Parts: sequence; structure tokens; C-alpha cells
Amino acid sequence: MTERVILCIGTKKGLFVAEAAKARRKFNLRGPFGSGVGVNTALIDTRRTPKIYASSCNAFFGMKILVSTDLGKKFRETKAVPAFPKDDGRALANIWSLEAGVGKKEILAGVEPAALFRSNNGGDSWELVPGISNHAHAPHWQPGAGGLCLHTIVRDGDRVHLGISTGGHYLSEDGGETFKASNTGVGAGFFPDPNPEFGQCVHKIARHPDAPGRLYMQNHGGWEERPGIGVLRSDDYGHSWYSIAEGLPSDFGFPIVVHPHDPDTVFVVPLETSTRSCPDGTPAVWRSRNGGGKWKRLTKGLPRKESFFTVLRDAMTIDDLKRPALYFGTTTGQLWMGRDAGEEWSCVFDALPPIYCVKVAVV
Amino acid sequence: MLIAVQIPTALRAEIGGTKQVSVEASTVRDALEQLELLHPKLYRSVCEETGAVRRHINLFVNLKLVRRGTGLNTALHPGDTLTIMPAVSGG
Repeated sequence: MTERVILCIGTKKGLFVAEAAKARRKFNLRGPFGSGVGVNTALIDTRRTPKIYASSCNAFFGMKILVSTDLGKKFRETKAVPAFPKDDGRALANIWSLEAGVGKKEILAGVEPAALFRSNNGGDSWELVPGISNHAHAPHWQPGAGGLCLHTIVRDGDRVHLGISTGGHYLSEDGGETFKASNTGVGAGFFPDPNPEFGQCVHKIARHPDAPGRLYMQNHGGWEERPGIGVLRSDDYGHSWYSIAEGLPSDFGFPIVVHPHDPDTVFVVPLETSTRSCPDGTPAVWRSRNGGGKWKRLTKGLPRKESFFTVLRDAMTIDDLKRPALYFGTTTGQLWMGRDAGEEWSCVFDALPPIYCVKVAVV
Repeated sequence: MLIAVQIPTALRAEIGGTKQVSVEASTVRDALEQLELLHPKLYRSVCEETGAVRRHINLFVNLKLVRRGTGLNTALHPGDTLTIMPAVSGG
């Protein structure tokens, strides 16, 4: 079968699936699936026959996970969703992250309130991962504006990196059995202690599989009195972090994305701190080709003014074609594609509901 | 005693399209326990895993809002109807 580019676009009003040939000249849109209900995360699982999973988080009636085995032509509900033990006292409020786990079957779910679940049967049953979910720090974590969420799961063999807002970066080096806060160099602008052991408002963590020791982090920046803590890099598997924010117009933002063929190339979307929107109403993706040493503003094709949207933490991604395209979705419902890794932008969809997440795979 | 439980339109898909079910219950808590046993998908849409009724769901016994009275301990009597209603919302 000819390779296709599949985009999953999670929105405030459900999941959309867009499909195009590799040239990406025209995307055909399907959906919304889980109509009317917010989709914070999706997973295109390509480990075997491709499956698409999407969270469907209804503020009235609770959570569901949708699954498709035909590239998003139709979806069904999984038989179960993550749930805390009845006597735990916590109740699932949202599902923020779905990621492929160990082997070919495990799926991991990061949820609100911050906890991690795993499934070994395609989401039909779930078990709590106690090493992080019942961590001694957990009672001290505080919700950020988006809630107390475990939103980022990055796996590298036995290493598991988690991003919790606000909890910080947690690292397991034993396959997820135990976790330690690993926030040396990760600042916080909202504590008297500028470098607490944990409690930071991490927004996103990214890495390239060929350089597992190198990680990039978009942290909650934008603090005049503590500049530069928003965009960070680690060269020691996440044990310590340092700022790479110099040269950016703002160190506040949500997503951070690594080029699929070059661990040195990283993308961010700087936002104004107070409004969480594009500085001066002029959207731009910023790219560094040397691991954060220098940054270049990418704007060709993007609006030049009067654009005050936000790009949320999971709303930017990149495909892995030879000349990859970068994609971001906006809170104003636009889906943008930047060909040649962001060199030239075009609006793929102009009037979707507010976009929460964008995932892509070539299948 | 057998109590009628009215299902709102938005949740009928969780129970095969049915508008009403009957459960043996003498309190609202009993009724929810029966729903958990007999109709688990419907129950999960009404209650969190802690057993608490979801924040945006209201339960009425006849015309009386359960939340404002004795809560889940509200007694049920022959002929009562327990109605599940989602709160109003927009946006």
C-alpha cells in the first residue's frame, strides 16, 4: 500500500483525522470522532498494524479512550479507561498523554490528577504505575492552569522521563519501577526557592532517539527576575539541565519538538507571558540547528499581524519523511504545515475547533 | 422495592438506547450500586471511581434534588422515580 501521511488533530469538539499522500498537497479530513468532547491527546501506534488511540474527556460524564484499526475511518471505545482504586480517593479528571510503551503492545497513559497507567491489551484494562503515581512527592504537587497533569512520557529503554505540571521532571532508570525528581537546573518562577527539588511547571520534554542523553525541555518561563529558565537542555540523560533560551524573544511557550533526522535541530513557539499568545500578534516558529546555541525565526507564509493564538503543549509535531514537514494547531482552530521543517508555511485547515493536540505518522 | 431510573438522552447510548431502567433499591445509594452492577458503562458516566456523583450530574427523586437533601442516603419509596440529569452548559 502506498505510504500515507496521517494527522490526528485533537480539538475541543472531538478528534479529526486528516490523510494525504506523501506529497502532502491535499489533506482529506474525517471526523469529528467523539463529537463535542475534548481530545487532549492521541497516539498513532505504528508498532504493528497501525492503530489510533485518542482520549475523549467529557467534563460531564467522564473519560473514554477511542481506538481505530482502520486509520481513523471509524472508532470504537476501549473496554476500560484508567481508574484509580476505589479507596484511593483520587478520581480521573483527564487523560493528557497516550504513548507507546515497552515491546509491541504496552500503552502508557499520563493523566490528571498526575499519575501514570499502563495497559498491555490495547487499552481494554489498565493498571496504576505506583512508582510515580504514589510517589512520596505526589501529595505536594500543585495544579497549574491546566490542572495537575502528567502530560509527557518519553521512553528510552529502561529510562522513562515524565513531565508533570506542576511537579517537574521525574526520571526512572529501572523501566518505570521507581522514579526520582531530576530537576537540577530546572528553575521555577513561582517559588521563593528558584531551584526547588520538585514542583516545577514543566510544559514539554523532547528528544531524538539517536541521542538519548540529550533532552530538550520547554519549562514555564517568562519570569523577568529569573530569565532563561523556560527553554532548557540536558546532555546527561536528564540528570541536569541548562538554559538555551538566549536569542529567543520569550522563553515562555508550550511545545518543543526535535527534528526527526537531526538531534541538533529543535523547534519552539515563543509566546508572550501574560497572554500566552504570539508576540505582537505575529506568529513564528523558532528553530535552532545547533542544539539551542542560535535561533532562527521561521515565518514565511504565516500571518504577519493580528494573530493572537496559542499553540498548546501537544499541538506541534513533525513527520519523518525525508524532507519533513512541521505542523502546529492553534487555539483559534487553524492547522498549519511548515514544509522543509518549517521553512514555508501554509494553512491546511482554517476553521476547526480550538486545537489541543496534533500527532502525525507516515504509514 | 422496584424503582424507575430515568436516563437522559446523552447517556442512553451507554445502555443500548433505553430511556428507563428499573432497579431494586431503598436508597439512592442502593440504586447507584445496582446500576454499577447491572449497567457499569452507565454508572461510570454518572459516578467517579470514588463513588461520588460526577460534579455536573444531578440526581432527582421525583422533583427533589438529591444533592440538596440527604444526598445518597435519600430514601426511596414505592412509585418514586430517580432521574439522572446533566447540568446545563455551553461553549
